Amino acid sequence: MKTTKEQSKINARSKKADEKQKNILEMLKSHGAKIYDDLDNGQFPKFSIPSRSVSNIVYDKKLRQYILGNNAAIRNSRNSAQLRSFTQLMWLAFFANRLTHEKKSSTLRDVYYSSQAFAIEFEDQSESDNIIVDLEAVTSKPREDFHIFPEERSSIFGDLNIEYTIPGYEGKTMNLSNHPDGYSIGPSLTTAELVDTSAEIVIAIEKGGLFTRFVEEQIDKKFKSIIINTGGQAPRSTRTLLKRLHDEMGLPVIVLTDGDVYGEHIAMVIKSGSANAAHLRELTVPDAKWVGVWATDIEKYKLPTIPMTESDIKRCYDLQKDPRYQDGIWKKELDVFLRLKRKAELEAFSKYGLTNITDKYLPQKLELAKSL
Amino acid sequence: MSSIKEKFNQISPSEFFYSNRDLAGFSNPTRSLYTAVREFVENALDACDQKGILPDVHLTIKAVDPEKPDPKPYILTVKDNGPGIDAEHIPLAFGTVLYGSKFGLKQARGMFGLGATMAILYGQITTNKPVTVKSSVDGATQHIFELLLDIQKNKPVIVQHTTKEVSKKGLTVSICLEGDYSKAGNKIRDYVYETSLITPYASITFDDPKGQKFSHPRFVKEIPPPPTIIRPHPHGIDVERIRRMIVESQFEIPTIDDAMIEKVRKDLGLSAKSFSFTGIMEKAKKKWKTLPRQVRVVIALMSFLKMDFDKLSKIRIEDIDMPNNKLFYWDFGESQSNSIDMDPESPYYKQLTNTVQGEPLTTFLTKRFQRIGPTTAVKFAEFAGFKPEKRMGTLSNEELVQLSDSLQKFEDFMAPDSTCLAPLGEDPLEKGIKKFFNPDFTAVVQRPPSAYSGFPFIVEMGIAYGGDIKSGGPHVYRYANRIPLLYDEGSDVVLKVVNDTDWGRYKVKGDPPFIIVSHICSTRIPYKTAGKENVADRQEIERELRLALQFLSRKLAAYMSKRGQADMAKKRANLYAKYIPLIAEFCTELAGKKKAPNYQKILDDNTVESKKVEEEKEIENN
Repeated sequence: MKTTKEQSKINARSKKADEKQKNILEMLKSHGAKIYDDLDNGQFPKFSIPSRSVSNIVYDKKLRQYILGNNAAIRNSRNSAQLRSFTQLMWLAFFANRLTHEKKSSTLRDVYYSSQAFAIEFEDQSESDNIIVDLEAVTSKPREDFHIFPEERSSIFGDLNIEYTIPGYEGKTMNLSNHPDGYSIGPSLTTAELVDTSAEIVIAIEKGGLFTRFVEEQIDKKFKSIIINTGGQAPRSTRTLLKRLHDEMGLPVIVLTDGDVYGEHIAMVIKSGSANAAHLRELTVPDAKWVGVWATDIEKYKLPTIPMTESDIKRCYDLQKDPRYQDGIWKKELDVFLRLKRKAELEAFSKYGLTNITDKYLPQKLELAKSL
Repeated sequence: MSSIKEKFNQISPSEFFYSNRDLAGFSNPTRSLYTAVREFVENALDACDQKGILPDVHLTIKAVDPEKPDPKPYILTVKDNGPGIDAEHIPLAFGTVLYGSKFGLKQARGMFGLGATMAILYGQITTNKPVTVKSSVDGATQHIFELLLDIQKNKPVIVQHTTKEVSKKGLTVSICLEGDYSKAGNKIRDYVYETSLITPYASITFDDPKGQKFSHPRFVKEIPPPPTIIRPHPHGIDVERIRRMIVESQFEIPTIDDAMIEKVRKDLGLSAKSFSFTGIMEKAKKKWKTLPRQVRVVIALMSFLKMDFDKLSKIRIEDIDMPNNKLFYWDFGESQSNSIDMDPESPYYKQLTNTVQGEPLTTFLTKRFQRIGPTTAVKFAEFAGFKPEKRMGTLSNEELVQLSDSLQKFEDFMAPDSTCLAPLGEDPLEKGIKKFFNPDFTAVVQRPPSAYSGFPFIVEMGIAYGGDIKSGGPHVYRYANRIPLLYDEGSDVVLKVVNDTDWGRYKVKGDPPFIIVSHICSTRIPYKTAGKENVADRQEIERELRLALQFLSRKLAAYMSKRGQADMAKKRANLYAKYIPLIAEFCTELAGKKKAPNYQKILDDNTVESKKVEEEKEIENN
């Protein structure tokens, strides 16, 4: 028997989820009504869509992320060149509306196939993915809000209690340290309410191998942490979860990546988003900290290295132009990478013993993070 | 000496063509069958054209023994409703080589009537069968000849000659020849088909050896005006031609025998009684204008000889030496040669000069060539370095060449007369194209007359797109003097001009369904080969073809662009019809409505008119 207090908490949480769903449905409805009225009045429906062209992606220093500028394009159903994509977008809104209503989730791939039932031909999945981004841009909501999820590849482990909101599991709770392989960050987890945690920090790691090592070495307990495997570049559902852990549970977030330019950028995307998602604002953790592996660590810890490839070097030069890499640790480490022209993976610490990274390196970095 | 003479024996034209028959298109059974069809059909059409008769031509090819494999003997029969040929001319017309009625300068399909005789010759060589000619010129009596050619003597051999009562005029020619229809069939059918396109006023039927009947009824009732025969243009002439014209313009001194004296007496209206010399001269002066040339010459001679008829009958003129004004004659009575001086001031002197030395240059030019007036003639004489009154008969070989060269170079002659040409005309050409191809678009043009090397020509061209036309175009139908040209396409000037065209510029793309019909009319088509299948690229002809094609291509481009717009509008309407209902369906559910919006209005508006969509561009809001 749950206490009344707990019960009211649960009610409040589910009310919050309902609220969110209602907002989404309202918004879709208003878009639909406008199109409906246009058609009924003998007008070709059209709408404005923020331009996602490179020239319209600008860095907002205040928000500390990329956002879209003020350029917008009109998508007009009268223009025969746009008619098809117009219809596809309408279908997607219609489809998202159903998903949201029925509280069903689907993957990007599902969307691609579902379209075929409505005589909406997408040439390939990348075309349907693109239309999904269009819907996000028009509504300024991430696709996850419309119950559309990418394939899952990231996971989470640690003492965190959640409460599901998806149909059939409403009110059901779960502790995320019960299963040592961790829990994949899917629709149910992304939409779940975060109830409570004993953790004091979130550690995001780039690689599955290290995630397993961290669980084995009980890093969650040793350092009171929640461990998240981003599986390379963090998927948006994972970034949303990171943001929620930071904003709702008040946990600091640190990021541990390979010691190369891509690793550095994985951390940057968690912190301030990507140009690709410039149309969305709920995906960043501006306070997240990148603690390693830094370029300077390569020398400091005498890590075995491999030479950078041409594309690694090119990537360095590209990022030098990015406004976010103009100062601080970001600029400094990037410059050192370019000087060394060598890189080191997280596994490089195994040279000094399998637990070297958890025993020596991590504690030092956690200590350091406090001063960053 | 005599043995050498034998080696230089003339061979007859028949023999010449017998040994060179591939020159005329009789190289093998396939080509020969096709060429024979062409020659007879073209002769039939020419005969009708010349008399302004709407042609009905029936072509039949029958195997003598259908069971035999090709090549084998075939009987080829062509029947027309033309004027027919007089019975007396038939043996010569069909039984000798180089006999024909088409020597004048005007446009006709064939030039010398040579081809038909060649076909007959070929048939005789390969099957040893006579040609059968049935002709009726009056629509009552038909003469039926069976003829063989005596090749060595170039003479006809009449195997049989009968007559029959009939009710229609016309000519039927039937030969037996070795042919290969299995190989030639396609070309012959194409030939008949294409001929009927360029001869829309003719009705042509073809019964082929396999029992198939091809019928091309006439669909134009007016026959184009027949061409007129004209004199040559000075630019189109060579030394040999001038030499022949001079011979034609000169007259021999008539032989003064009893018959001639009798004729002079009669023409002067004198009785049998003998007249005095002065009496004769007086009478002649009065009647001069009505006297024929020969009589005038005799009178002129008599004036210098001062003889009456009696004395005249006893002499023979030996020589007339105009430069020295001396006249030599043989006196039978005295049995000796005498000479007298002629007075250059005498009015009869000029008559004799004309006869012996030919016309003066200026007269020769104005009388024997087209479109040269006296002023131009004098100007030309000065240009060429001749005295205007220079007698044509006194030209040396060198002077002849000089004259010929000057005729080519002198630029003030008027352009050749084109009344000798018989283009089909824009209207019948367009009707023909429409009938044959049922196209979506047709344009035709007839270029103004032009000339190359003194030969006038006219280019007619038509272009058609869509309809029943197969894709993979342009397909080019080439014609010259209403003959379809089917062989040796590659080297033809028309093909060259078509292939030089960048069709993309005229909005014709991909595998377009379109055709070009090109018709060159000229008194002399510059064929590249004796087989008459491809036209050489004379600069002037190429230019006219190019201009015609450009004109038509521009029209086609305008059509294509309109068609493109219509296609676009249609395509757009289809897109709307496909997508708008879907949008309606989705937004109905989104908006939470029960009934779909009334989008029909949008669809109706856009199906009826082809409104241009203004593409809305990105709006810069900065």
